[in-house]
Amino acid sequence: MRTKLIAGIAAGLAAAVVAAAGGCGSKGASTGGTQDSGTLTLGVSLSLTGSLAREGILTREGYDVCAKVVNDKGGVPVAGKKLRLQLQYQDDTSKPDTAGQLVDQFNDKGVKLILGPYGSATTEAAAAVVERNGQVMADSSGADDKIFTKGYRRTFAVLSGAKQYAASMIQAINDLAVPKPRTVAFVSADDGFSKTVTEAGRAAATQLGFQVVGVEFVPNGTSDVSPALTKIKPKNPDVIVGSAHLVEGVALIKQAHELGVSPAGAFAETVAPPTPDFVQTLGANAEGVLGSTQWTVTSKGSDKWFGSAGDYAATFAAQFNGRRPEYHGAEATAACLAMILAVEKAGGTDAGQVRDALAALDEQTFFGPLKFSAVGQNASKPMSVIQVQGGKQLTVWPKASAEAPLKWPGTKA
Amino acid sequence: MSPLLQATVYGLLQGCMFGLVAVGFSLVWGVMNIVNLAHGAFVVLGAYVAFEVHRLLGLDPFLGMVPAALALFVLGYAVQRYLINLVVNAPIFITLLLTFGLQLLLVNGLILGFTADYRSIPTAYAARSLVLPGDLRVPLGRLLAAAVAVGLTIALGYLMRRTRTGMAILATGMDRGAARLMGIKARHVYALTFGIAAALAGAAGAAVAGVSTFSPADAGRFTLFSFVAAVLGGLGNTAGALLGGVVLGLAEGIGGQLLPGTLVNAVAFAVLVVVLAIRPQGIAGRAFYAARVET
Amino acid sequence: MRRLMPWAAGLLALVAGFVLQTQLYTGQERTVSTILMFVGLAAAWNLIGGYTGYASFGQVGFFGLGGYTTVVVMVHAHLSFWLALPVAAVVAGVFAAAVGWPLLRLRGHYFAVATLGVAEGLREVVTNLPGVTGGGAGITIPTVGPAAPTPWLGNDGFYVLFLLLAAGVVGVAALIATTPAGYALRAIHQDEEAAGAMGVNTTVAKTLAFAVSAALTGAIGAAYAFQQVTIFPERLFDVDITVLMVVMVVLGGSGTVAGPILGAVAVGAASEWLRQHLAVGHTLVLGALIILAVILLPQGFTSYVSSRQYSLLENVRRYRL
Repeated sequence: MRTKLIAGIAAGLAAAVVAAAGGCGSKGASTGGTQDSGTLTLGVSLSLTGSLAREGILTREGYDVCAKVVNDKGGVPVAGKKLRLQLQYQDDTSKPDTAGQLVDQFNDKGVKLILGPYGSATTEAAAAVVERNGQVMADSSGADDKIFTKGYRRTFAVLSGAKQYAASMIQAINDLAVPKPRTVAFVSADDGFSKTVTEAGRAAATQLGFQVVGVEFVPNGTSDVSPALTKIKPKNPDVIVGSAHLVEGVALIKQAHELGVSPAGAFAETVAPPTPDFVQTLGANAEGVLGSTQWTVTSKGSDKWFGSAGDYAATFAAQFNGRRPEYHGAEATAACLAMILAVEKAGGTDAGQVRDALAALDEQTFFGPLKFSAVGQNASKPMSVIQVQGGKQLTVWPKASAEAPLKWPGTKA
Repeated sequence: MSPLLQATVYGLLQGCMFGLVAVGFSLVWGVMNIVNLAHGAFVVLGAYVAFEVHRLLGLDPFLGMVPAALALFVLGYAVQRYLINLVVNAPIFITLLLTFGLQLLLVNGLILGFTADYRSIPTAYAARSLVLPGDLRVPLGRLLAAAVAVGLTIALGYLMRRTRTGMAILATGMDRGAARLMGIKARHVYALTFGIAAALAGAAGAAVAGVSTFSPADAGRFTLFSFVAAVLGGLGNTAGALLGGVVLGLAEGIGGQLLPGTLVNAVAFAVLVVVLAIRPQGIAGRAFYAARVET
Repeated sequence: MRRLMPWAAGLLALVAGFVLQTQLYTGQERTVSTILMFVGLAAAWNLIGGYTGYASFGQVGFFGLGGYTTVVVMVHAHLSFWLALPVAAVVAGVFAAAVGWPLLRLRGHYFAVATLGVAEGLREVVTNLPGVTGGGAGITIPTVGPAAPTPWLGNDGFYVLFLLLAAGVVGVAALIATTPAGYALRAIHQDEEAAGAMGVNTTVAKTLAFAVSAALTGAIGAAYAFQQVTIFPERLFDVDITVLMVVMVVLGGSGTVAGPILGAVAVGAASEWLRQHLAVGHTLVLGALIILAVILLPQGFTSYVSSRQYSLLENVRRYRL
């Protein structure tokens, strides 16, 4: 009886493992046949569930727009043929180890071209595996500069680095605000990306002659930032910069109102204000808040697939019930675009050739310039600064693409 | 203004909110010895009910508590009656696992049905504050939520000690066999208890929607707070959860002023571990519940 | 002879593991490595949670502690991974003994929540020591070039490592199950007062069980950290990992040797299969499956088979109210 049980268990285990792994294969990576059948397959590991699901789904929308536009125009022209673009989504459940595992699984299936996951931690895990397997990744959202200090040669980020996020807002305030504020305080989440942002922001502020009166850290993902606000309030900063994600960013504004923390100048936050949720959840309290963004509908540049930023906005709206795109979607589309342009230039889907084409890419697009530095960052692309005015996120900086003048002080807007 | 005083007041209000979230969790645990890992999902579900009622009828979130509580009562009653009651006599971890499965189901169902967007119900008053002397701010939304927390705790205490239903629940919680001999239908009483707990979670969710933000991903956090607040306060006392929540809120509020802000969670858990090591039944709990051995 | 049969079966399973490896693509290899890791974690949790009946909800704390010990040994002391692995086990074991001494006085869910508090506290400490641990930004163990104390083992190497670790943990569990120490732990589970009266030093026995369980978990954490290369406190102290251990043990059959293996493989394989085939709804379906499994097999799978009571509805009749 007992032996039978054990034998049965052993057989069951083996069957289950094989089923989970997706059948047997020969050792090593398979060489995929998908490319021959007229499709270009890109693997996407994305946070469809878990703590980053919100941002993950915004990213997927951008990838979806890319696939639809490219396929509506007949596909990617490669060596005289047109390849249909096919995106294979897998859910990394917002966990870096799963993201890495998924990239390995794509490699098994011969999918060598990868579009990046959402967030710096998952991107970092994926980048390590991409490098090991000789795959290539277009990174849409992993902005932490740490990813680009490891000597990776196969990860290319379309977005500006983390150091720009707060620094661009400080620069905008310095350029546009009258009267010019004197003191700045930072409230920062304690994850890698936010800390890099804060450090660079603080350096920029000091350099431009602002006095930094406080830097407070809060736990990543918290919905209660009141301890930081209570500490900062007596210092009366003219500007409070929040270096945080959506949850902390919304809590910062809500709780500042509750606690009567009202800077003479404005609130400025990195990634939260450009998202639709920011205005929806905060309503009138969102008015006047500044935000930094990778892209706005007035960003300069255009390309043959998506046209200008304005054209892109129209395409996006047509696909998603008239919604205005924000930068998570745009940067995802841009990553997909970079990959397509590289495949086109390489004249094939060989990972090595696509990598070289990406490294040599120098294109103007709806997202701005796509040109990568030696470590794979898109160094030439400027960030924009928006301000919530009348419930809309309007570009106020750089001046060349401004939709509206900066309202200052933002807290009295 | 003294930052420490402000932090204390804010921590107190925040603590009442934790207590409101935890009170149903504590009730279920005390009476049925079930740790309901789906409790946080019930809270989020309550927030969505209030959100929808606000969207369709324009009802204020604090009034939206009533439909949220009613809807969750029905759900909770059904879950206990037709699901958890099936395994109530199985080893203790089975109920834990069942509620874990339930929380996966609810949270991911919410993501599919409502997307993972962050939401809140904007009100004219929630972000306003009473300004006391010394520029001490008492946010109205949180004050209201705290009042609801205290009110519901008192009402629950009255229900448990002064009504036949409450007596039946308590009796079943202490000795199911004996209660059955007294003619109490355990099946119904258990379902009722779970329904009441879910209703309290629903009300808490509506309050959360009014003063702060929520998304399906928050369910785990609410369960964790409830776990900690219930144990800190102690079981077997309807005010235990509120007390535990307040201790937690004050520890975070005051700790956040004296230490670097990133340590607030560490402070909360340190308080928890120390309290348990010194007084295993919690601050106001009864030893009976802590000594109870799960079979 | 009969006593040797399970060991022979275990050996056979180990060989099967090596044979399976030759049949897998590298990505599949990594997927199976993850399942093997959970076999080890579940079997380790079973020592304290299943045999002894003390539900440690802070088990992931030892996993994370093992992982960050590896970081200290490899990144800061530039020493080999093969030294880091045993050091991680010892650190986790000693730490567990130290916190276990006071906390093991607590019963049931109270013990669960106290250990949960310890694990969450550990995560906060790790997050707040960026100089040592990299803080929330994560830290990378050098694995290539001359800076690497031990070169990365490759997907092949990690598969073997996790297979051997899983086999080792299961072996320890099997050994404990058949020796007087195992009877002492089971006696504590059944009735702690009676066990004490029978002459079992319950404090020492359960503290030891907790420490051994933690040490094994810490060793697996060390291997995981090295496999991941870059580690983050949020994942290394992720409460989901503890919950998975509990789910796997209880579904497989707690307090048995085969239970955690079965549970880990079944849950691991099911969630992986679902995730690959249902990009959005997979967790929802997993939740429904767990509910179903719990209602139909409340004693776990091994007890269901060995009790020879094959009617699923009989279980429902037995445990319902």
